[in-house]
Amino acid sequence: MAALAAAYQPRRPSRLRHVRKRALVYAGLCFYAFIAGLPVYWMFITTFKPDQDLYNLRAFPLFFNQHGVTLDHITLLFNRTGFVVWMRNTLVVAFAVVLITLLVSVPAGYALARLRFRGAESLTIGIFMTYLVPTTLLFLPLVKVISWMGQFDKLGALILAYPTFTIPFCTWLMAGFFKTIPFEIEEAAMIDGCSRLGAIRRVILPLSLAGMLTVGIFAFTLSMQDFVYALTFVSSSDQKVVNIGVVTELIRGDVFYWGSLMAGALIAGVPVAILYSFFLDYFVKGITGGAVK
Amino acid sequence: MARPVAIPDARGRTALSGLHLLERPSVLGPVLVAPAILYILVLVGYPFVLAVYLSMTNTDVATTGLGRFVGLDNFLALFQTEVFWTALRNTLMFTLVSAVLKGLLGTLLAFLLAENLPGTRIFRFVILLPWTIPIALSSITWKWMFDTQYSIINWIGKNIGLIQGNPNWLGDQTLAVISIIAVNVWRGFPFSAIILLAGMASISQEVLDAAKVDGAGPVTRLRKIIVPMIAPILFVGSLYDLVFTMTDMTVVYLLTLGGPANTTHVLASLAFLVGVQSGALGRGAAIALLLLPILLIVVFITLRTLRRRDI
Repeated sequence: MAALAAAYQPRRPSRLRHVRKRALVYAGLCFYAFIAGLPVYWMFITTFKPDQDLYNLRAFPLFFNQHGVTLDHITLLFNRTGFVVWMRNTLVVAFAVVLITLLVSVPAGYALARLRFRGAESLTIGIFMTYLVPTTLLFLPLVKVISWMGQFDKLGALILAYPTFTIPFCTWLMAGFFKTIPFEIEEAAMIDGCSRLGAIRRVILPLSLAGMLTVGIFAFTLSMQDFVYALTFVSSSDQKVVNIGVVTELIRGDVFYWGSLMAGALIAGVPVAILYSFFLDYFVKGITGGAVK
Repeated sequence: MARPVAIPDARGRTALSGLHLLERPSVLGPVLVAPAILYILVLVGYPFVLAVYLSMTNTDVATTGLGRFVGLDNFLALFQTEVFWTALRNTLMFTLVSAVLKGLLGTLLAFLLAENLPGTRIFRFVILLPWTIPIALSSITWKWMFDTQYSIINWIGKNIGLIQGNPNWLGDQTLAVISIIAVNVWRGFPFSAIILLAGMASISQEVLDAAKVDGAGPVTRLRKIIVPMIAPILFVGSLYDLVFTMTDMTVVYLLTLGGPANTTHVLASLAFLVGVQSGALGRGAAIALLLLPILLIVVFITLRTLRRRDI
């Protein structure tokens, strides 16, 4: 990237031009950061600002005012709503989805990347295309399928539904990952007397732990991005996951509990954003993987 | 690991020769892929077929089975309603307008990030927030930011002299449309930038240098070298983005619920309203299914446009 950046610089930049250009780039980045960060900053301010200041048109909105900082919204969120239960549900769903995704995607990814068999090519493309089947196309028939499986309005509904998009994506990601492990390592193990299954177990799997970690993180963050399935399949408060609970249960009639709403969004959203950011490069690779060598 | 060792051989061979068979790629491959295929068939393939069938029945939430076959009645009834045509128009307009804006904002951002000045990592984290925060949580935040009384947008706008009065962002038809597009753009521009950056990183320095020696300016380099060279990545990236923006209902559902007066519905939110809230699964499935031909057309156009740019 540094080399690329160099390409856009004039050949022999004068000191002044150099400084001016840097200033422009930083100004641009600040503008973007302001637009991108404002809603999150607003979540943060709202979470800790007492209602007297929050709903006071004369108070300066962008920072805390005369009544200072409060934890009331967070207390309300934890003690008087199902927030703790929703968080627990989210973790249960996430854990199960990650587990299912790993169990299914890792073998499939290995096979598609490494083994030559009839139809492997078209299966690879087919699996990626499945990822592009939108959830809004499937949610209504899935209501039926999930009811038949006896999982409607239960956490099981989401545990069944989320792998429909995590498996295709993660299989694709895993296949890309396995391709980066040199063939020779596996061959060497097989020459040394390992069977192929032995080589997979003793050599390939240990080498792909990082890939599996990435895949696990994505199974989690992709699940957290869902809204349609969670909204459609679950309506009992005690079975909700956190992003649905926050946006449906902190609005009573016309009254929005903005302080607690934003507290919930902040507590549930920011950790996901951090995790996602860390692994974003792999996400991009996962999406564009087929397009570049 | 779901090791396939335990799967019994259909022809009743011993476990040992079963293991032996698994050493062959032509056997091991399908065995390892089978769980993924099975999962996809049962929970994507079957529901997909079911969606087509449901759309031709009068199934509702109370029906235990699949309702009565009504042919194309759902579609015909749908075409008679005004809200359907509004939703269709909105789906196309929201997607296309926000795609263009995301592309412009994302391209500029990609060049800024490519400079890789000190501190870029922190900027990157903040700028990526719209994409990384779960969409439901950011949409509800935007609803609060567009609040009728305490809108922070209005406050900032008034203080820098951009806004006069107290616009009711989500209550006015035109403003509601603008708000929804704005949130879509906000959510998606970091992704455009990241995809473009990934592409730019894959271009060899020599090619760019050669072009510069030949006198190509930044714009020419972008149009004649960068874009054609990263066309495949751009294609997958924009395909992904278009599909997900076009079929998203979260933003509309949380910001306006299709209001005011049903003017901001998209097909996805209408399908939810009809299929889940009113319980008419069949009718809802018909609406959702209509996304499919539109998606295919978009995929086709994207593919052609990017192909033509190829050298």
